[in-house]
Amino acid sequence: MGQKQVFWQALLITILIFSIGVTAGVVLENWRTSKIASLYDLSELSLLDVKLQTEIYSLGEFNCEQAIQENIAFADRVYEEAKMLERYEGASRLTAQIEQEHKKYDLLRTMILLNSIKIKQGCPNRYYEIVYLYQYNDPSLETKAKQSVFSKLLIELKETKGDQILLIPVAADNNLASVNLLLEKYNIEKKDVPLILINRNKKITTLTTVDELRKYLE
Amino acid sequence: MELLPYVYLAYMFISIYMLTFFLMLYLKNAKTLFDYPSPKKEYTVSFIVPAYNEEDSIKEAIEHIFAIDYDAITQVIIVNDCSTDKTKEIVSSLLKKYPKLTLINNKKNLGNAAAAQNVGLRYATGELIAVVDADSFPHKDSLKKMVGFFDDEKVGAVTCPILARNKTKLWEKLQAIEYIAISFGRKLLEYVDAIYVTPGPLALYRKKALEDIRGFDEKNLTQDIEATWHLAYNNWDRKMSLATGVHSKVPHKLKAWFIQRRRWNIGGLQCIQKYWKVIGKKGMLGFFIIPFFILNLFLGLVGLTIFFYLLTTRFINSFLLTRYSIIAQTPLVTLDNFYITPSVLNYLGIILFLFGLIYLLIIMAVLKERIFKTENMFTIPFYLIFYLVLYPFIMVNALWNFARGKYVWR
Repeated sequence: MGQKQVFWQALLITILIFSIGVTAGVVLENWRTSKIASLYDLSELSLLDVKLQTEIYSLGEFNCEQAIQENIAFADRVYEEAKMLERYEGASRLTAQIEQEHKKYDLLRTMILLNSIKIKQGCPNRYYEIVYLYQYNDPSLETKAKQSVFSKLLIELKETKGDQILLIPVAADNNLASVNLLLEKYNIEKKDVPLILINRNKKITTLTTVDELRKYLE
Repeated sequence: MELLPYVYLAYMFISIYMLTFFLMLYLKNAKTLFDYPSPKKEYTVSFIVPAYNEEDSIKEAIEHIFAIDYDAITQVIIVNDCSTDKTKEIVSSLLKKYPKLTLINNKKNLGNAAAAQNVGLRYATGELIAVVDADSFPHKDSLKKMVGFFDDEKVGAVTCPILARNKTKLWEKLQAIEYIAISFGRKLLEYVDAIYVTPGPLALYRKKALEDIRGFDEKNLTQDIEATWHLAYNNWDRKMSLATGVHSKVPHKLKAWFIQRRRWNIGGLQCIQKYWKVIGKKGMLGFFIIPFFILNLFLGLVGLTIFFYLLTTRFINSFLLTRYSIIAQTPLVTLDNFYITPSVLNYLGIILFLFGLIYLLIIMAVLKERIFKTENMFTIPFYLIFYLVLYPFIMVNALWNFARGKYVWR
């Protein structure tokens, strides 16, 4: 009694189940990507708004307090969105579109930095500008662990200093010309990453404590 | 994209395919699973029981054989392979009670069941040869429900479910689940002419077929698998009667279980080594049995390799993270660590687990195991999550011994 056709039938059903599973996976990942993309669109809008505000302030008497608060609040919001992006990226297995979103966020954060530079020209020494440059593509286990601790340190610092800190994490190795220019301008080589850049002049590459970091701010 | 997700997806695909294949075979044949043909003639049957230090069970095994409801049992041959316990005395004391009982005492220990079975084969006169392990107890109706298959002259061997005799301890209960799962799968494989083993606790062979394959391979640690492959190679059909069974003692200690399973794996590897040239030839043997067997043995190894890779990287990462966290005096764990964002691979893993669970529940329901018995509510998940995971470890050990040519029975 042979029922050899079951081999093919099972194969077809498996392909069907598997295709449904993989398609559902792609849909799920695309949904996550579009969620990030729509958040990005809103953030982009907010950035334009913040930038325009800065421009308007620079025309007349500069309202430092408001400009700084707007910029920092915006950066904090982008930071929270980036955490979600990071989680989705960690769970992304079938599609690569989310990596594009990451690049867009890197550019957005670079623009926040440029806006901050402009604000600082009118309002020097009112807040601390911390740029955290990290390795995004295939970091080694050691770099990964080091970056994780750097992130924790910066979160802790942000929690204690609050609105006095503008925190801007940027991936240093995403081949974005503007980020590369920034690295060049501040004499940062890719091998130095992960790196914390405080107020565009102090570079920290070795792990330290929050208290030590605070001293750099003083 | 990384390579690992694709390896994982391939692994998933094969596993889902195998489960679908078995589920479909079940759905197509659910009504005939327990069918068996009534014999057109009464075949004479010789029993061969190899025995080495079986004082605990040999008497009961003999009593069970003689209690079988079948008139044409002509001989029950016990081949005592130089036991150092009281096996010889126990069997001798039963000779008067059972005139058809024959005791053969080997002059020297042959060291494996195959050799002892071949000794018994030389004395066997029945048209059919029933091989029984000395710690196994055939059901009363076993022969009546098995011999009918031999009316088809192409049938060389008939097997039946092996069931766990002792199932009080957790370890025994897990093996009991495993035994019924294997038996059920073997019956399903019959529908595609792919029975790959006629296990030692009770297997019925046509004597002519056993002569055709020149008896059991004494170099092989799983002579029952080798004999089945040899029969398939020589175009003999193998059948399975799910309507009856044989109870067999299962190892109750982890070490004994490990040694038994390692022997099975080494024997399997020996079979692959002997027959690998047949892959892609000789009908179902080369097209399905051997590839399926290889897949079964090595799929777990792939899973184990992935598991160890992930475990090692996770361990190194945790170690470095702890080290750096101490240097930086930051907390080791923050709230962010508790965010879980599942990937599609996690969902597929859950689907696979559910498939496996459904398949196992079907088996237990069909074979009238009480699924909702309190103890099963614990043993079934334990079986699926922990017990099956142990197999690749045995395989690694078996491969190591196989590579060193260490083919030891015990």
